[in-house]
Formats: sequence, C-alpha cells, structure tokens
Amino acid sequence: MSSIILEARDIRYRYPRGMEAIRGISFHIRKGEKIALVGPNGAGKSTLMLMFNGMIRPESGIILFDNEPVSYDRESLRKLRKRVGFVLQNPDRQIIAPTVYQDIAFGPVNLGYSEQSVKEAVTGALRYVGLEGFERRPPHLLSGGEKKRVAIAGVLAMDPDVLVFDEPTSGLDPSGSEDIMELLDELHHQGKTIIISTHDIELAYPWADRAILLLEGQILQEAIPDVAFGRPKYVRQAHLSMPILLDLYFELEKRGYSLPEKKPRTVLDMLHVIDCAFQKTPCCHASPGTISVFDVDVSPHDSLPGWLASHPGVSIGAMGTRAKQHAADNRISLDFTYGVIDKCILRAVIGESSLILTSTGMVRRVEQRVLEFDKVSSIRVPVRLLDPENTVEKQDNPVDPFPGC
Amino acid sequence: MYEELLEDVAQANGLREVNTYIKLVVGLGAILLCLVSTSYVAPLFIAVLLSGAIIILARIDARTYVELFIVPFWFAAMSVIVIILLTGGSEVYWSWAPLPWLSLSITRESLNEGIFVFCRVIGGMSALIFIALTTPMTDLFIVMRRCRIPEAVVDLAMMIYRTIFMIMHLLVQTYQAQVMRLGYSSFRESIESFATLCGSVFIASWDAGEDLVRAMDARCYAGKFAILGETGPVNIPSLAAAGLFLLVSLCIVIITKNIVAI
Repeated sequence: MSSIILEARDIRYRYPRGMEAIRGISFHIRKGEKIALVGPNGAGKSTLMLMFNGMIRPESGIILFDNEPVSYDRESLRKLRKRVGFVLQNPDRQIIAPTVYQDIAFGPVNLGYSEQSVKEAVTGALRYVGLEGFERRPPHLLSGGEKKRVAIAGVLAMDPDVLVFDEPTSGLDPSGSEDIMELLDELHHQGKTIIISTHDIELAYPWADRAILLLEGQILQEAIPDVAFGRPKYVRQAHLSMPILLDLYFELEKRGYSLPEKKPRTVLDMLHVIDCAFQKTPCCHASPGTISVFDVDVSPHDSLPGWLASHPGVSIGAMGTRAKQHAADNRISLDFTYGVIDKCILRAVIGESSLILTSTGMVRRVEQRVLEFDKVSSIRVPVRLLDPENTVEKQDNPVDPFPGC
Repeated sequence: MYEELLEDVAQANGLREVNTYIKLVVGLGAILLCLVSTSYVAPLFIAVLLSGAIIILARIDARTYVELFIVPFWFAAMSVIVIILLTGGSEVYWSWAPLPWLSLSITRESLNEGIFVFCRVIGGMSALIFIALTTPMTDLFIVMRRCRIPEAVVDLAMMIYRTIFMIMHLLVQTYQAQVMRLGYSSFRESIESFATLCGSVFIASWDAGEDLVRAMDARCYAGKFAILGETGPVNIPSLAAAGLFLLVSLCIVIITKNIVAI
C-alpha cells in the first residue's frame, strides 16, 4: 500500500459567530487514491476541503501533509499550495486574468518559473484539458464546461500532487460532467491523488476508490463505495440516494437470487450479476467481437481512415482528451465518450466489434479491464492493438477463460 | 440589457490575428493625418478607406458599425451647423439677424470650414472605431506593458477588466430576476428596484472581490500577475498594407493641401 499523503487528526473548526462546521474529523488519504467526499448541503464538505491547502486553519487538531504538520507561515503555505491544487466550484470565481493564457500562467509565474517553462506548463495544461487554441480568448466568452476546464488547467499548470475539486460537475450538462470525470480518471492514472466533493452519487459511485460520508461536520462513514453507499440507513441520513445499480443488486438479492459477492459498479458488472442470477451464459453469439485499440500518440494519423473504411459498422469510442481531440480533428463521429472500455466489452459480448482511440498511457488500462472481465465471465474478448504500420494486427491478451460463478 | 459589447465584437473580428502594433499605427497615424491635413479630401479618404477595412477586412457587421458611428455623426453634424452659421466670411449666401447682437450667416468660407471640420471628425472617428473594433483590450494590455506603464497599473487594469464582465453578469441576472417579479412596473417601484439592484450588486461584487483574493492566494500569489500572451507576428502583407495606406494618405494630405470644397 502506498504512503499516506494527507491526514487529519481530530480537526475542529467554527466559523466566526457561527455554529461548529467541523466537529472532530480524523482520516487519512493515501497517494494515488480517488476519494469522494459526499454529504448534504452544509455538511462541511467545502470547509473541510479548504483546509487541505491551508485556506482555512483548523481551530484544534492538526492536518498533516506528506507526514509533516501543515504550518501556516507564508512560505510553507506557498509550498503546500503548489502541491495541493484546488479547483473551486464556480470557475468564474477562480479565473482571475483577462485571457485564458494569462490565467493558466498565473500559478507558474508566481512560482517564479522562467518564461520558457511557464510557456511549456501552460501549453501542456491546455493540451491536457483539450483547449488548445483558446490562449487568447477572454474567459467571459467561454461556455460553462470550457471555463471549468480553464480553471482545472490553471491548477494543473502548477503540477500539484493532490488535486482537490469542489463539486467538479455542478452546473455542467451530462456529457460535460462525463468529460470532466474522465479527465479526473486520466489524471489519476498519471499518479495524482484526487479528492472531490459531490452530490452526484451516480458519478461518484463507479469512480471513487473510497467514499467519505459527511454529516453535520462529522464523518458518518468512510469506506469503499459499495459499503459507503450500500447501507440504506446511512444513505438516508446523509440526504443521499442509493446508486441505482446497487439498489438493483440488493433488490435481486432480496428476491433470493444467488449473486456474486462483488457489488456491481458499472453496467457491465450489473449484466454479469444478472447473468449469474439467471444462470445464463452471457454470450448468445458464436464468437465475441474484437476490440481494436488505436494509439493516437504513436500511430500515424492518416492510417485510421483506411482502417475505418475497411471495417464498416464498427462502434468507435475515445478515451482521454487527446483521443477525443484527434477524433474531432479527423471528423470521426464517436459512439462512446465515457466508460468506453465497458461499452466496448458490452458490444463484444453481443458479437460486435469496436475501436477505442486512446493515448499511450491508457492502452494498458484497456487490456487490464478486459482481462478482469475475462476472468469473471467465461468469455474471451480479443483485444488488438492497431500497429503503427497498420499492416500487422497484433493479437494480445492470452488468457484462459475461466468461469466466474 | 442584451446589447452586444464592443469588446466582444473586437474579440471576434477578422483582423484579430494581425499584429497589434500595426493596427495601432494605422489608427493613430490616421488620426494624426486627419489633424495635420488642411483640406477635407484626406480625412474623407481616410474615413472611406478605414470604414471599408472595418466592414470588409475585419468583417464587422455593417449595422453594428453604423450604429456605433451614428452618435458621433449627429454630434458632429450639429456642431458643424453651428460652425457654418457663426463663422463669418466675405462671400455671403444667406444671412439673418434675429437679435441686435446675434447675426447668423452662411458664407463661402463658413461652408468650407464646416465641410472641413465635418470630414476631419468622421475621419478621426473612423480611425478611433477602427482601433476599438479590431484591437480588443486584452491585446492592448500587452502594448501597455511594453510602453513601460507601471506594472501595478497594468495589473490593476487587467483585474478590473476581468471584474467588469463578472459584475455585468451579476447585474443582468439580478435585473432579470427583478423584472420577472414585476420590478420596475411603476415609477416608485422603479426607484426601489434600482436601489435594491445597486445594493445587491455591490454586496455581490464585494464577495467576488474577496473570492478573487482567495483564488489568487490558492494559486501561490507572490505579487506577480501573469505575463502576457503574444500578439500576432508582424507579417509582410499586413505591414505592406498599413504602410501603403499611410503613405497614400500622406501624399493626399500634401497634394490637396490647398483644395477647398467650394
């Protein structure tokens, strides 16, 4: 298990002339974890999060970052804030400068980077959030989702280890929220620790490694999502609702079906549960479809149209900002933009082939996920990496099928 | 409350990518030429050419441009009528003395003077509007800093710029909320609504200001505002076009220095 990066020991905080907002909270967060802080309005989520980068100082108790107590002098705070990036709920309140470029450059400039490295940091951050070419735009002419991305890029430009998001998906349309959640996934994949606060259970449930339920300034529960969201009593107490997949799982269980131990977190998992419940082999097709993976970072960009022309009717999904950008540049219409691997596996199970556009770092993830699926189901879904030369299609994924339930 | 903002028009204009300095030199040069010209021809030429550039090259909607021009146009027209009536001259076309101490007349000289002043005004106006419509404020900040305007002033200007749009947004929202609940329905009501509007926007902008400080702190503010982006590169066609325009205008100024309208 990786080391602890952020820890709180019995912290308390009272707003001036107000009631106690944080009433004795202790927890720890490990490096590379994805944490969802969940709770009703006024539970103290935002207050707690503002303590992570020293914006609010607890009245009693201590916060440790990287096993060192946070000290509140100017210089230490600067160091802390460089390593803990904070994205506010309202991007309008976070964007300071008159142009996108200047806003993203704000952090790096104040950290004293040279002009060249500021430029690199800004370009990198913009590329990451998929806003290349927006440098000179003024923020007030951007859409809500774009503003959110600018705010995120402004924090990414400082290259923090921990990213704290207050309600990352509030005020965004469903597809915008999914894009942001995928961006968070991508960041997590790069080794960042990510903490979000949210009301959106359906988004947090499949995403988080661990959920912390807050109520009236105290931790109600701290556990993996299936446990945290799986107890009706706590869920009701925290003014939340149970994730629909979990609800369905419990209802099936109550009807006496024998279900696998692992709770479903995605539609794919749920289908497996249903297959087990009704003792049916999932594949009614002779052979499952193939998942092809196209790496937009290494493969030549002009090889894709030819492949697509020779494989009509293939569903296409893109994972990650660069892949989506690539699809937009090449006018490839995408069928899936979120939860892509699962969707493609679902296609494969019913005998359809699909293509995933992604970046180098994510290729392995496709293989891992498919492998996981192969293990629990008795199907073997072939994954192919489209070769840069696009002549040989390499066969991957040599797994022995083994039954799950 | 839904008027398009000059700044937003400028952000999307067709000459956005042209180097800011070239645009400024064209605009300021044109104003200077209008001022030194002794005949009406050069200012008129400048007005026509720059208006063409605004509508065709910068692709500004002609209606937007006309609407923008109409206010100074009427102002100039009225001033010019007064100039024509009050300026004396030898060749009198028409005169009238309603009061012993007031005599109005139209003379050859006064007409010439009037036409000259009028052309000068519209020439200068078109140059000014050219700058306003092709060079957004964000680009001017870069020029401001290059011109050695103190950093604190530029930083403040940039923050004010950003805040203006935020407050404007708040203002529109609050105003709409009031109208939806029948604010401004009577005179008395209007005054009350307006007072609440001012109050709530003041409080909201105060809040926004505090948030701004917090946002800057959270991103390691150490007294430095972001460096500026870059302006478009100086490219040969735009440089040549600007040079040609100023040169031709200057020639016209010299050639036509003795030409009068009538």
